[in-house]
Amino acid sequence: MQLGSLRLQRLPSAHPGIAFAARAAAILIALLVAGVGVAISGMNPFELGGRVISASFGSSFGIEDLCVLVIPLILTGLAVAVGQQIGIWNIGAEGQFYAGAFAASAVGLFVPGPQWMVLILMFGAGFVGGMVWILVPTLARAYANVNELITTLLLNFVATLLVYYVSTGPWRDRSGMANSATPPLSAEVPSFWGIVHWGFPIAIGLAILVAAALAYSRWGYEVRLVGSNPSAARYVGIPVRKHLITVMLLSGGIAGLAGMLEIAGTVHRLQGGISNSFGYLGIMVAVLARGSPIGVIFSGALMAFILNSGIILQTQGLTTSVVLAITGFILFLTAIGDELSYYRVTRERA
Amino acid sequence: MDVLTGLLTTAFLAGGVLALAALGEVLAERVGVVNLGVEGLMALGAVTGIATVTAVPSPMLGFLAALAVGALFGMVFALATVFLRANQVLCGLALTLTGTGLAATIGRNYSGMPAPVTFEPVQVPLLSSIPIIGPAFFSQNILVYLIYLVLPIFFSYLMFSTRHGLNMRAVGENPAAADAAGIPVNLFRFSYVTIGSALGAGAGAYLTLAFVPSWSDGVVAGRGWIAVALVIFAGYRPIMATLSGLLFGLITALGFIGQARGWPVAPAFLSMLPYLGTVAFIIVPVLAWQKMRRAMAAPAALAQPYFRDMR
Repeated sequence: MQLGSLRLQRLPSAHPGIAFAARAAAILIALLVAGVGVAISGMNPFELGGRVISASFGSSFGIEDLCVLVIPLILTGLAVAVGQQIGIWNIGAEGQFYAGAFAASAVGLFVPGPQWMVLILMFGAGFVGGMVWILVPTLARAYANVNELITTLLLNFVATLLVYYVSTGPWRDRSGMANSATPPLSAEVPSFWGIVHWGFPIAIGLAILVAAALAYSRWGYEVRLVGSNPSAARYVGIPVRKHLITVMLLSGGIAGLAGMLEIAGTVHRLQGGISNSFGYLGIMVAVLARGSPIGVIFSGALMAFILNSGIILQTQGLTTSVVLAITGFILFLTAIGDELSYYRVTRERA
Repeated sequence: MDVLTGLLTTAFLAGGVLALAALGEVLAERVGVVNLGVEGLMALGAVTGIATVTAVPSPMLGFLAALAVGALFGMVFALATVFLRANQVLCGLALTLTGTGLAATIGRNYSGMPAPVTFEPVQVPLLSSIPIIGPAFFSQNILVYLIYLVLPIFFSYLMFSTRHGLNMRAVGENPAAADAAGIPVNLFRFSYVTIGSALGAGAGAYLTLAFVPSWSDGVVAGRGWIAVALVIFAGYRPIMATLSGLLFGLITALGFIGQARGWPVAPAFLSMLPYLGTVAFIIVPVLAWQKMRRAMAAPAALAQPYFRDMR
């Protein structure tokens, strides 16, 4: 493309600095638009902003809330990011989250035994629950090349219905007044600072572990190769199908673990709507991090702040659906910015 | 007999949502753009429909307003994906998140309220007295005829029997060749993504003005995603998309009848049927009809942005 003596040139790979700047710009523009929207509806955006900042960072309670919110966001973001490494779009993290929570609750409610043993079983059940939930999309993708985007997504609705059914039906707490949740689980992930439980270091540790495995292990190298060029990977004899299956199952398992930690560490019982759209926001977390498992820790923290702001502002007559709308807008601008970061402006020599 | 009529009546009514949205998605995907924002567009259309009829009691106006809102959001999506060539998957997900969130925010004031006016059934003279199919199909609201007869036949004719349709398919199969032949690739893509998005939002208005008919948060309940899946199942054909919408209407109707007759299955499991059915319907054909694969294949340039200066 030519503009006078300036020439727009598309490079084969994106400039990471520009991609990063585009993300920052996307978030700023989205917040600006949100602020204007707030102003139009008759509220003072600066006052609301100040309230959000003081409620989030003004007390240790605010920071504890943020740390608790960041756990599922890092994990669902990590689940999506792991898939992206091999070129898979797992947008079913929401369903795997519920499936993990469901399986872990089953253990927590019905398996007797000492706390530590039940807790370990719950970890396993959460991970396996998520894996089971992504199993059919995985096999369909690996053996019949069925697009995983839609299959993973549709199962979200099934998982939500399943959790809603058991928590208002067979597993309902019959002792108290709450009839839309299960009784408290017998085991819980212990807290180490206020309400912040051990899920926090586990989530960060898992992100670092996955990042290290991808960067330094043979498995990681092969997975990244498949992700960047599947046919080249096949020609050099890399077992593409096997890697596809393991990565997708890992992705589902991590999302399931997010669900397990949410019920075992934060909510302590299973109920409908335990996920604040964590699975969908995880897509955003992964995209902001450009699919990097380490980056997910930081974009997860950012997303936790945005989500927490929405929750704080609920008392001001806003809903968390505003957060969803703003997130979508950021995602949209990021997608445009990502494409623009492939371009370079050069000066035409006469 | 009575059960069958009831089943078919509900099937036609329920299937209309999916048929209309799937048809819109067929248009977008045929020119090579995958629009994953249907779910969000439907939510926006649904809330626009109910908001319009609350202000002005005319269901047609509500439907048209939803089409306009869908076209507007479709243009923004098309601007990003076609002209700026941004990633279609990301932009589609963004549209779904924004649309769902925005609709839920706007819709809070209308939540749980039944639509003040709805599309009323129209008896087609003579045809409505045919047994079974008469009461089931020819006594429906006017949108049902639009969705099952007018639109699919029109778009099928346009797509497969006109020069314009050939150009349209060429844009989706091989944009470089189409461009070389002088077809305005980006204009085609932009226009059909916009029209498709309008139909997606129209499906949302159908939901709140003819089928449910009221707004509540989550009323769309994944129907947009089912519509996207049906396009694959329908082999990217307008008439097939309509028929598969009807098939899913039938599945939904079975669930309703099951609930009404007190089948010993929890309602939650009956509600899972459309989603599980969709997953089955996009996996099974791939395994079962290997020979059909070429005929049912996606447009070759689907989801690929077109760069004229880079081949």
